Amino acid sequence: MSTPVITTPAAEAAVTGRAGVGRRLTSFMPVIALVVLLAALTVADPGFLTLNSLTAAARTSAPLVVLAAGATLVVLCGGIDLSIAALCSLATVFFALWLPDAGGLTTVAVIAATAAIGAVQGVAHVLLRIPSFIVTLGGMSIFSAIALVISDAGPIRVVDRDATHWLTLYVGGVVPMAFVVALLVVVVVSLVLRLTPLESWIRATGYSESAARLAGAPVDVVKIAAFTVSGACAGLAAVMLVSRNFSGSPTMADNLLLPAVAAIVVGGTAITGGHGSLWRSLAGALVVTLLRVGLPIVGVPSAYEQILYGAIIVAAVALTLDRSKVLTIK
Amino acid sequence: MTTNLSRRPEPRVPASAPALEVRGLVKHYPGVKALDGVDLVVRRNEVLGLAGENGAGKSTLLKALVGLVRPDAGEIWVRGEKVRLGSITDAANHGIGMVFQEQSLVPNLTAAENIVLGSEGPGVRHGIYRWNTLRRLAQEQLDKIGSHIDPLARTDSLTFADRQMVEIAKVLRIEERTSHPPVIILDEPTSVLESKEIETLFTQVRRLREFASVVFVSHRLDEVLDVCDRVAVLRGGRSVGEVPAAEAAPAELHRMMIGSTGSDDHYHGAAAERRDEPRRPRLVVRGLSGRSFRDVDLDVHAGEIVGIVGVHGSGREDVCRALFGAEPTTAGDVVLDGEKLDLSGTRAACAAGVGYVPAERKTEGMVGPMSVADNMTLTKQKSRCTGPVVRPGKQAKLVDGWIERLSIRTPDRGTAIQRLSGGNQQKVVLARWLVAGDVRLLLLDHPTRGLDVGARSEVYRLLRELANQGVAMVLLADSLEEAIGMSDRIVVMSDGRATTEVAAPTGDKPTPLDLVKEMV
Amino acid sequence: MTVTSPADADLEVVHARRPRPRRGVSLRDAGPPVALVVVFGVFAALSPGFRTLSNVQNVLDAAAVLTVVTCGITFVLMMGSIDLSAPGIMGASAIAVALLVANNRNDNDFGLLGVVVAVLLGAGLGCLSGLALVTLKVPSFMTTLGISAVGLGVATLMFAGVQPNVSDRMLEGLAVERFLGLAHLTWIAFACVLVGWLVQRYSRLGRYAFAIGGAEEVLALSGVRVAPYKVAVFTMAGAFYGLAGVMVTSQLGAGLVQAGKGYDFSAIAAAVVGGTLLIGGRGGILHSAVGVLLVTVLTNGLVQIGVSPYWQGGVQGLIVVAAVAAAVIPQRRRNQVTK
Repeated sequence: MSTPVITTPAAEAAVTGRAGVGRRLTSFMPVIALVVLLAALTVADPGFLTLNSLTAAARTSAPLVVLAAGATLVVLCGGIDLSIAALCSLATVFFALWLPDAGGLTTVAVIAATAAIGAVQGVAHVLLRIPSFIVTLGGMSIFSAIALVISDAGPIRVVDRDATHWLTLYVGGVVPMAFVVALLVVVVVSLVLRLTPLESWIRATGYSESAARLAGAPVDVVKIAAFTVSGACAGLAAVMLVSRNFSGSPTMADNLLLPAVAAIVVGGTAITGGHGSLWRSLAGALVVTLLRVGLPIVGVPSAYEQILYGAIIVAAVALTLDRSKVLTIK
Repeated sequence: MTTNLSRRPEPRVPASAPALEVRGLVKHYPGVKALDGVDLVVRRNEVLGLAGENGAGKSTLLKALVGLVRPDAGEIWVRGEKVRLGSITDAANHGIGMVFQEQSLVPNLTAAENIVLGSEGPGVRHGIYRWNTLRRLAQEQLDKIGSHIDPLARTDSLTFADRQMVEIAKVLRIEERTSHPPVIILDEPTSVLESKEIETLFTQVRRLREFASVVFVSHRLDEVLDVCDRVAVLRGGRSVGEVPAAEAAPAELHRMMIGSTGSDDHYHGAAAERRDEPRRPRLVVRGLSGRSFRDVDLDVHAGEIVGIVGVHGSGREDVCRALFGAEPTTAGDVVLDGEKLDLSGTRAACAAGVGYVPAERKTEGMVGPMSVADNMTLTKQKSRCTGPVVRPGKQAKLVDGWIERLSIRTPDRGTAIQRLSGGNQQKVVLARWLVAGDVRLLLLDHPTRGLDVGARSEVYRLLRELANQGVAMVLLADSLEEAIGMSDRIVVMSDGRATTEVAAPTGDKPTPLDLVKEMV
Repeated sequence: MTVTSPADADLEVVHARRPRPRRGVSLRDAGPPVALVVVFGVFAALSPGFRTLSNVQNVLDAAAVLTVVTCGITFVLMMGSIDLSAPGIMGASAIAVALLVANNRNDNDFGLLGVVVAVLLGAGLGCLSGLALVTLKVPSFMTTLGISAVGLGVATLMFAGVQPNVSDRMLEGLAVERFLGLAHLTWIAFACVLVGWLVQRYSRLGRYAFAIGGAEEVLALSGVRVAPYKVAVFTMAGAFYGLAGVMVTSQLGAGLVQAGKGYDFSAIAAAVVGGTLLIGGRGGILHSAVGVLLVTVLTNGLVQIGVSPYWQGGVQGLIVVAAVAAAVIPQRRRNQVTK
């Protein structure tokens, strides 16, 4: 019954240049933030802008970039994936447990498993019509529970380091392989989107799901695919984490959820869907990483890191939200 | 008896001033003039009917009267006093209240709470509910209209008719704010009621007249004439006259609503030279049933435009969506060109060559922030791809071709579609189904809604051209004239059933009145 | 006049079944209590350890903190919003109260006043969520995710690397001393349910929170400004989380940053299982209280029959998804947009 009377589209609200200015500003926001941060850190500590520390930062950022890139697809479709960090933790446990048996195939197996888990979440969201944040919130706690049970709540050491050795290499002696892989993920996924109708479908789904459906776009398939890729990315990020920590642990990646969400929204991808890109999340992830490594440099206790994430997420969402779409904000 | 309203009434002494008076109200929306100098007088203790076609400006006028829309020009006088209505509370303070077409009650509160919502008075003290007082206040309101609803019943457990009583009781709360008799606006109150309930409502309306003025809006002209003292008619955002209800017939009202038919000639008879070979229908619908429609039969031939007309709630929109797989069906067969049409989803329909132009262009028809080109190729992705790969060059050529062919006015194909005017947006939405050249059936749900006259006629021309190329079309028109002008055949739907079919060949068109008779 | 023709046709129209006007509980409301009885019965049959009086006391005591958190979140859910800020707010208030009462880190000994300040801190953080929601128009799950991070940050700052151990008798006593076989904390939880029920039933805040979930636009049409009520609901929820943080500190005897870990999800699970809809407008404190018992009985019972306690979160995850799906299925429509 009672349908909003006020909210019936009152006018042919022609979109004018004004909205464009804000958009243009937010589209450069992540890059500006990146440059400003780099400059500020260099001023604070002239020793920061060295190859060594930049390489270290790039290496640290790799799992975050991958996680954020995958979840960006879900956000572009208008949903959210809150399970990435828990799934990533679970995947580190998988990796540690399977390595002795699967050997070199472990990486592939883990990524396939997490992709399948992501697909299951997507199917639950699409078929059962449960809001994505509830499905993935539920997923988050289920994955954590599974990880705790199969790992017996403790870290599992990875003895055989050959399987992840390739990720610790440096391309040309300077660029960490993990970062190259992360870049590759962004490039490949972006290219696939750009070169196929997928981008059209994803954006249409995110901007206006009902319009996309009525235009015959395969909305359900696109959404499930987005969750699948998001799951696969969580698996890849897990392999990267294992390559660094030489162990799998049921809580290893749990503290990456907020940074990943922050990376996406700082990049300027609208939480309402449609607007944004993986490139933005790459920039956002670099911003977040710089903040992380930079705060101690400028003498801010790392406890402020959390507060900063909270503030950044709220502020960035406020800046990028497509208010024309959300009539009542819940 | 038509009295022309063009004269401006002079301000009168408050004692005899009308309950509500509107002078020269103007409201522009981009591209559309919703109100173009409306004059209206609501006398004390009368029931004034307000009639007009879709787009005549009725709803905008009503919204202006309760402060939901701010007019660009014109004045609103209440009991001889000029007022500014900035909000619904303002309007209530001046004694104007409205029962909305879509009911505006909170479903999960009690009837009593809904009645006093926002003006609880002594029912709530220091933020604490005093249920007994609240109940008494609500009971007083319900007693005014002689309703026996339990004030503590949850609103969503009441029948639609009872909920409407609650709405009326709620709106009468404005009496507590002003010592003057209130003005109550009823917007399409009968559209979802059954005949028995309508009688009850009419009894209420007549009762209201004892102590209030009532503005009654309805599509059903017989009802308007039945319950009202006087009927004012709007057309194209202007007041075109008023008649005392006792002396008028629906026919006369209808003539006033649609004006002279001469001005609509631009689409009449345009179908002149269509070949007319009888053959198997392209679309055959048998016994289609769904949530809001039952046993609908429909035939549409290639190159034919079949209009479906019906009042609000007739189920015609849902039939249209069902044929596109966007609304579930419970029974029935649909055959397109000899093959059974899969109604399980929109993709299947698209693949079968069915196209759909939704009524809500902005939210369902187009993806606003996406470019003209991407909107145009959204459905028929193959038309811009080689294999799975998008070829920007191919897309550019295709889209530019259609932009020119349909003379879509856009800076370029990369412009976001939401920056175009309504007519050009609609042409892009139509082009979406044409780019692949495989569309066999077009379902058009109010394709000219919100468009100005020029854009309308362009859409008409385009549809006519498509029909001539052999596309079958089902048209839910914005007005009866549009349905008559555009269609070769008209199916009348009423209460979820296709009741009658009226042939409308060029040169022998039925009049709107012929259809109205079948619709109600 | 062309009247009367439709009269016959009207009679044939298929009408939706007419709902009977009702005032009290419906069958739908009976589901969770019945489920509670069934689950309780099943575990009682399976496990001798489960059906002891002391275990029932255990269950009630174990439910205390979750009950208080759920009291807060229920009002937010009734509005159709969501609140993920419990872990942050609880962490902040847990550390705050530990530092304000007698402890090993400083010379403070504010006793009850310290508890009040900690609750107010929670209310303040909740208020921030609400303000961000209504002024910045950021969806609540984002604002509360952000506020949760802020709360954890504040907690970490106050924690400063040294765990504050509580030596305040009053605060320690709450978890230990018993009245009628139940810990004082459990009675506090009962009191919270009572207060929550009174607010929901008799205060404008509670009724409007319910109405906002039912039809926010209608409130606006009736001339009600909803924004202050939304902020107030988030503030009240924050106060409940603050109190829950205090209770955790009392149980542990020390302030921990992680005091509220997982409580956001458990509380949502409890509320949803109790029959509160995530789209708002249905459910209430008593529903949620039943939900809390259901969740607690389930976790306790599973442990009693030998299931690893690590599964706890997984079980909650499953029941939330299942409960939401079950609630959504009757309203499913094709082309409905799900975000």
